[in-house]
Amino acid sequence: MENKLMIKLVVGTEAMFFLALIMAYVYFSLLPGFSPQQADHLDIRSTAIFSAFLFSSSFTFWRAEMNFKQGKMTRLKGWLLLTLVLGLVFLFGQGNEYARLLRENVSISSSLFGTSFFTLTGFHGLHVFAGLVVISIITALTFMGDYDRSTSSVFGTVGIYWHFVDIVWLFVFLIVYILPHFHKITG
Amino acid sequence: MTGQLFLNINPSSIFDAASPQAARIRHLTIEFIIAASAILILVVILTSFISIKYRSKRQQEDPKQITGNRTLEMWMVGVPLALVILFFFRSLATMNAVLPDRGNHSPDIIITGHQWFWEAVYPGTTITTANEIHLPVGKRILMQLNAADVIHDWWVPALGGKMDMIPGMNNYLWVTIDRPGIYEGACSEFCGQQHAWMRIRVVAESPGDYTLWLRREAAGAHVPQDTLARAGAVLFLESTCSSCHRVKGTAAAGLTGPDLTHFGSRQTMLTGMMANDSVNLGRWLTDPQQVKPGAHMPRFIFAKDSIRALTAYLEQLK
Amino acid sequence: MDTILVPEPEESLPSLSVSNDQGILQWISSVDHKQIGIMYLWLSVLFLVVAGIEILLVRLQLAIPNNHFLAPEVYNQLFTMHGTTMIFFVAMPAIFGFTTYFVPLMIGANDMAFPRLNAFSFWTTFFGGSLLYFSFIAGGAPDAGWFNYAPLNEYNYSSSPGIDYYCAGLLFAGIGTVTASINFVVTILHYRVPAMSLKQMPLFVWMILINSFLILAAFPSLNAALAMLLLDRQLHAHFFSAAGGGSAILWQHLFWLFGHPEVYIVILPIFGIFSEVFPVFSRKPIFGYSMVIGSGIAIALLAFGVWVHHMFATGLGNTVNGFFAASSLLIGIPTGVKIFNWLATMHGGAIRFSVSMLFAIAFLIEFTIGGLSGISFAIVPIDWQLTDTYYVVAHLHFVFIGGTLFGLLSGLFYWFPKMSGRAPDQRLSRWFFWLFVTGFNITFLVQHALGAMGMPRRVYTYPNLPGWGVLNLISTIGAFLMAGAVGLLVYILVRALNKGAIAASDPWDANTLEWTTTSPPGLKNFDRVIPVKSTRPFRDYKRPEDADWKRQEVAYTEKPPDIDITQNNSHGE
Ligand code: HEA
Ligand code: HEA
Ligand code: HEC
Ligand code: CUA
Ligand SMILES: [Cu+2]
Repeated sequence: MENKLMIKLVVGTEAMFFLALIMAYVYFSLLPGFSPQQADHLDIRSTAIFSAFLFSSSFTFWRAEMNFKQGKMTRLKGWLLLTLVLGLVFLFGQGNEYARLLRENVSISSSLFGTSFFTLTGFHGLHVFAGLVVISIITALTFMGDYDRSTSSVFGTVGIYWHFVDIVWLFVFLIVYILPHFHKITG
Repeated sequence: MTGQLFLNINPSSIFDAASPQAARIRHLTIEFIIAASAILILVVILTSFISIKYRSKRQQEDPKQITGNRTLEMWMVGVPLALVILFFFRSLATMNAVLPDRGNHSPDIIITGHQWFWEAVYPGTTITTANEIHLPVGKRILMQLNAADVIHDWWVPALGGKMDMIPGMNNYLWVTIDRPGIYEGACSEFCGQQHAWMRIRVVAESPGDYTLWLRREAAGAHVPQDTLARAGAVLFLESTCSSCHRVKGTAAAGLTGPDLTHFGSRQTMLTGMMANDSVNLGRWLTDPQQVKPGAHMPRFIFAKDSIRALTAYLEQLK
Repeated sequence: MDTILVPEPEESLPSLSVSNDQGILQWISSVDHKQIGIMYLWLSVLFLVVAGIEILLVRLQLAIPNNHFLAPEVYNQLFTMHGTTMIFFVAMPAIFGFTTYFVPLMIGANDMAFPRLNAFSFWTTFFGGSLLYFSFIAGGAPDAGWFNYAPLNEYNYSSSPGIDYYCAGLLFAGIGTVTASINFVVTILHYRVPAMSLKQMPLFVWMILINSFLILAAFPSLNAALAMLLLDRQLHAHFFSAAGGGSAILWQHLFWLFGHPEVYIVILPIFGIFSEVFPVFSRKPIFGYSMVIGSGIAIALLAFGVWVHHMFATGLGNTVNGFFAASSLLIGIPTGVKIFNWLATMHGGAIRFSVSMLFAIAFLIEFTIGGLSGISFAIVPIDWQLTDTYYVVAHLHFVFIGGTLFGLLSGLFYWFPKMSGRAPDQRLSRWFFWLFVTGFNITFLVQHALGAMGMPRRVYTYPNLPGWGVLNLISTIGAFLMAGAVGLLVYILVRALNKGAIAASDPWDANTLEWTTTSPPGLKNFDRVIPVKSTRPFRDYKRPEDADWKRQEVAYTEKPPDIDITQNNSHGE
């Protein structure tokens, strides 16, 4: 119980953190000379694909939780591994995107867009990374048999965090990639 | 040195209003002081009265255990709320009177804050000046406020409220000066090492005097007469002073330091730090960092007579 | 007598395995909430002296006009460090010290929910503070003021590493603060003795609960701003420099979105302390228990809607300013409610003037002065005149010292016997009170006038304008009186710890659970907890015939006959 409440509070305060970053992003995107440049450099299609991986990792983690509750340890291990793989693919995709942008000379210091884009997505990436570290640890512990009694609240707790990270990405994806796209088409 | 300097200055507290804007704010301030004093006195009286009356007498029974009282609680919310609402509307009215929308009025003067001096440009004329800012009396003036480096803030208490000068933004302030005089103010946003010495002097002049000043100021710099000053003028151009300072009518056209075209006619130098005289000027040119540490003017290694020449030149730039 | 299960963390308390004879090592490795609380408090005292000495140098420099005692860059570092230290490493740790120490005791728990996280929070805060001060050695302390405005905080204008240390230090302290708050919330919600309902919690615990949520919502904004600033300074990002397309004003929004709630973060727990002190020393229950809670919540909510009142002079326009003026004016009302609640608590009581109560009574007046000057800023045109002058300095010290510090001192004298098992010298403590209060008023009352006379804040020196020299000299003298007082306080505390009289476990005839244990409490707080049936369980226990819960039962059946107090008070209104 305490752990769940704790992680909810963590998620709450992290949400405020991302809110601040997103507000900064939106604020800058309203300044002149921001949007066109932005839409040119981002590749929505490939990002949408690796985003899908992240979103499905939420689903797989949820499956893991369910199986844990039912005591199905083998399936639990499978879903956990799948979650890890999906998360890693997302990070890989993000890394790729960064590399491409840097090749096109879009960096954190190159422009206002670079500054806010790399900061926002970078902090999100860090959170994904931290989540993956935690998930690897609990996966390892699962394989070592630490959770064979199904009383632990650890999956529920980690789950809340992991879903949160996904939801943040949903917003980031909407605001950074999709909305300006519409803007470009209409205006 | 400084004692002499400020004799001819109007007192400059927020209560010495010399503009209708400042007067309105003063009015509101006084209303507030009255209301606030009433509240404070009430609290002081209640506190002392209760403390004295209900001080514990030895061996006393527990007093009556009262936990609340709805009526009283309503009063506790109601009275302050009423006061606060009153002041809210009073302040809205004052805000709109003091700082109405600019509309399409174009600024009468553009002042830019630099670390650590003021640059003033008079649109419609060729005049650029620094630090001592001349304005006409009786005219409603729109000031545009900008910053060249960090945030500064324009504040002359007798003329009304402040306004920040923020890099990348244009801010505006209205002012109508009632009577001629010199009004002291100061930069009121912390802007680094010499924020303390970024004082403001507004020289308010009657329309006649002001026109005269405009005419004099628009003219090019005084051409040095004696040999010493002429040597100074040459030095000024040669020793890169000209890359930072402008002296209209000469080749000196730098823009990073204060305009010196009519430097000799200013009473103070270094934004109110000291009187503008040859001793101070000599010290400044010998080692700026000694006089105003951190100022963005490098130290030049001059011989004594170079300093004397430069001083002579600058003093003649009336 | 019923005994009640004492909640403690599920895993065995790690602290219980640490024996008590390991000296300093035992403190460093401790996860016991009381030891951590005491370490927070000492950290706070240490930094109070440091930040106090910094500002004494500043006051010396300002004692006379055109003084050359301090170079400008030194001056700027000193006042920046003074403000930053006082807020983040004096006020916050002191509050957290009392919180970690007393929240578990007041709710009848044996420790915090997460004892190791508690230790982590303290040590990160400690590390943050050390990092901030390391800047002095590393090439210069931060020098852009405690709110560190852009673009002055950018590398171009402040190239010494001070501001990097400011960012890093505050980030660490911020992480410590946030984790501690999470711990508090979980402890309060899950570790109360089962009998204690939310509506029976001591008000101090209530205020901490509200405050913790405030912290969780406010600090991320600061952390985000600090992270952005570090990116600007280290990786040449462009958040706050207009030259790179960024926005200087964005820093202000982010900072004050944190900064304003922050000033309430350091006052709400104080309101909690006073809500314990007033009833105990008036021998009456708090007047309007639920109103104190309600107004606390109102303050916490409003705190997020007023930040622009620090930016009235940035040219945001009259509409925006008007909105934030309204919210800032409104926030005075719940605060006023509390002041009157405490007055009404005293009314009709039997007041004992312990040092703790003296600070509480002085607070009523000093804080009202500070609060009213706050209200004057909320009236935008007045703020246009007075912002960034010494009038602001006066305001902030009246609320910080007359509010926060008085509250902490009141709490200190209230709880010191419980924490140490010893009683501080009465006579000296009274001397301390009068010296401190006198010094405080001398120092800061005159600054209201200085501000109105046109003296900006943060100036390392000033011209010899009429009156300025005298008033500043008075202010400096007051500062030295305060310094004497603080020195005396340290002496009183150290002496009391060494040879103070042994304190009883319940010296004040108090109401709440922390007084039911020994003084100081054993490593394990409680074996059993007395029954909790009202907000004053210990009083109920001591005076069963006059127990609150009995009276409440009567109150439900017949109308309360307490009319006289209305009459007495309402003609005062
Ligand atoms: C503990 C900290 C604390 C507290 C409690 C407060 C309380 C308040 N503050 Fe203050 N404030 C600061 C700390 C605090 N402040 C600091 C540190 C700064 C400066 C930051 C910096 O620039 O460095 C600052 C600056 C500051 C400003 C910006 C000034 C400027 O820079 O231009 C403003 C503007 O509105 C303001 C307003 C208020 C208001 C309306 C309250 C209200 O909450 C006050 C409410 C209390 C009362 C009103 C008194 C009791 C009430 C009654 C007796 C009832 C009757 C009252 C009425 C009818 C109104 N404060
Ligand atoms: C909790 C907050 C707090 C507290 C308690 C104080 C306490 C004091 N403050 Fe502080 N102050 C701030 C918060 C606080 N301040 C903030 C936020 C700012 C704004 C900073 C900024 O602009 O960025 C500020 C700014 C500020 C200024 C304005 C500087 C400027 O604008 O240029 C001044 C000037 O007088 C001042 C004075 C004092 C004084 C005299 C005390 C006194 O009360 C201090 C009393 C304590 C002591 C003097 C220590 C005594 C110790 C000893 C003598 C040692 C004894 C030793 C042993 C026994 C071993 N403060
Ligand atoms: C790198 C730029 C730079 C150079 C070169 C420079 N100055 Fe300056 N000067 C400044 C700045 C900036 C100030 C404003 C200092 C302040 O008040 O903080 C200033 C101020 C002055 C003032 C005072 C102006 C006033 O209104 O108070 C005088 C006079 C002056 N400089 C003369 C000179 C002379 C003579 C030289 C050459 C020998 C020179 N300067 C070279 C930047 C420069
Ligand atoms: Cu410019 Cu302060
Ligand atoms: Cu505020």
